[in-house]
Amino acid sequence: MTIDADTIRHLSEVSVSVELQTEDMTLNIGPQHPSTHGVLRLVARVDGERCHDVQPVIGYMHRGYEKLSEVRTYPQITTIVNRIDWVAGYANEVPFIVAAEKLMGVEAPERAQYIRLILTEMARMASHLVFMASYPLELGAATPLFFALRERERVLDLLEGVTGGRFHPNFNRIGGVKPAYGAGSSTRKMIQDLPAGFLKDTRDAMGRVLGVCDELEDLVAGNEIILARTKGVGILPPEVAVSYGVSGPNLRASGVSFDLRRAESYLPYESFDFDVITGENGDCWDRWWVRLQEIREAARIIVQAVDGIPAGPLQAKVPKIIKVPKGETYVRAENPKGEMGYYLVSDGGTGPYRLKIRSASFSNISVLPYLLEGILVPDIIATMGSLDFVLGDVDR
Amino acid sequence: MTSSPSETTTHPLQEYADLVAETVGGEATVAFDAIKVVVPLDRWVDVHVTARDRLGLVFFSWLSAIDWANEVAVGDPPGETVEERFELLTSLGDVTEGRRVTFSATVDKTSPVVPTLVEVYAGANWHEREAHEMFGIVFEGHPNLTHLYLPESFIGNPLRKSFPLLSREVKPWPGTVDVEGMPGIADDEPTTENPEA
Repeated sequence: MTIDADTIRHLSEVSVSVELQTEDMTLNIGPQHPSTHGVLRLVARVDGERCHDVQPVIGYMHRGYEKLSEVRTYPQITTIVNRIDWVAGYANEVPFIVAAEKLMGVEAPERAQYIRLILTEMARMASHLVFMASYPLELGAATPLFFALRERERVLDLLEGVTGGRFHPNFNRIGGVKPAYGAGSSTRKMIQDLPAGFLKDTRDAMGRVLGVCDELEDLVAGNEIILARTKGVGILPPEVAVSYGVSGPNLRASGVSFDLRRAESYLPYESFDFDVITGENGDCWDRWWVRLQEIREAARIIVQAVDGIPAGPLQAKVPKIIKVPKGETYVRAENPKGEMGYYLVSDGGTGPYRLKIRSASFSNISVLPYLLEGILVPDIIATMGSLDFVLGDVDR
Repeated sequence: MTSSPSETTTHPLQEYADLVAETVGGEATVAFDAIKVVVPLDRWVDVHVTARDRLGLVFFSWLSAIDWANEVAVGDPPGETVEERFELLTSLGDVTEGRRVTFSATVDKTSPVVPTLVEVYAGANWHEREAHEMFGIVFEGHPNLTHLYLPESFIGNPLRKSFPLLSREVKPWPGTVDVEGMPGIADDEPTTENPEA
């Protein structure tokens, strides 16, 4: 068979097209990887730098808290729920306690509710500051970490001063906040109030946090590399977000003005003046920007709460042995990561019959296969980091 | 603060609850500031399509189940005899008014098969996988009904009441001792909680 010039040209074209048909490679990211905030495994099918399909594999941190709650008493469960989202441990306690209080028909005194509100906002601040530290780090900018963590430590000092714990405060009780020792027959009952100088220290710390927000904005918003890597990357449309149950700052960054602090009444937020921050494009940049503004709003709320905190008791009268009457309810709260809720079913005993824990990060990262479809490999890290999840909150 | 259906005054949520029940075709109760609408299982998917499209409940919060059982391997059995069944629950909300509704359906324990909601709410995917491994409920039509948290080799459905908690079998949890009263104080005396142990 003779080969003429036309055939050769044709053959070479065939070989070129065969070369371009590359095979997909399966790339495992994690379970141990610095950008995964815990133990998350991503199985990515990549073609060169382009990712076709990403499946998150979760469960490495699954501790079975829903089953465990069925064999614990109500006062014991606050220690468990502290460990769900450990970056904002305090905020996890409030919706659970409020759910139990609702079933019991108990309401915490106003001062206790204000203390809960102040500490919840501090937990939000601490959580968002961790994001402010870790997200630029994942994109290669190490400096913001030192600024953000320095002021986060001030906030955690305040939390520790009140509750005794930086990460796992275990400070809420049904009907109020933690009593100090002294409920015996011969000792005077002492209820732990805010430590001396707390209100002044808080005002000072809020000034410093607002200062670091400005510094972070200069450092990050003025960084062209970060802007190039986050603007227009990982866009999450609002209709997709709600269908996956994405909540909190991630939802608001997509332009949905919805905040459970406004919609629900688990804490007296209605008497506070603050803005619900929304983004425009729902990209990684908006998710960073919304969280930065939320730190500023949290500082605004805390300063108002410190100025207006009423005097009064810290504990409502409750029986010594907590038995929650038969019933079921769902209480949800705006946690730093999004909607945190507890579906509490009681059959009248000392512990729940069933406790469904709705955690924010679980739904927030279930959207990852959608977000990472067709994305470049370096953008996996940029997109994943921008969702600000904690694996304890995913796996429960 | 709280209200139950037995109270004579109408709860502010009752009107909306009735509207939801009428639109989707179910029975609504309002208790403890939460709306629950019981719907028949054979219209499970229709109910959610209606809730999403006609009531604007576009936000998929969660899906889970309750195992109602009289014989429990761990924990306390319910105080009175209950009907042996799974109760399947979804919680939906809107992102404007702050409305939220829990939908509930009864699932037979002997053949726990229900249609999937993945086509209606994308977020149902992971929640149904969790309910599948934890309760053994089969979601028909689910694209990937594998274990979510547990390894594939895991046998059993941990959140079923018949599933024993092994550490509790071996040794009773000492925490139950903690709720005994302090010496010198009667148990029914109203007080704050126990001091720290």
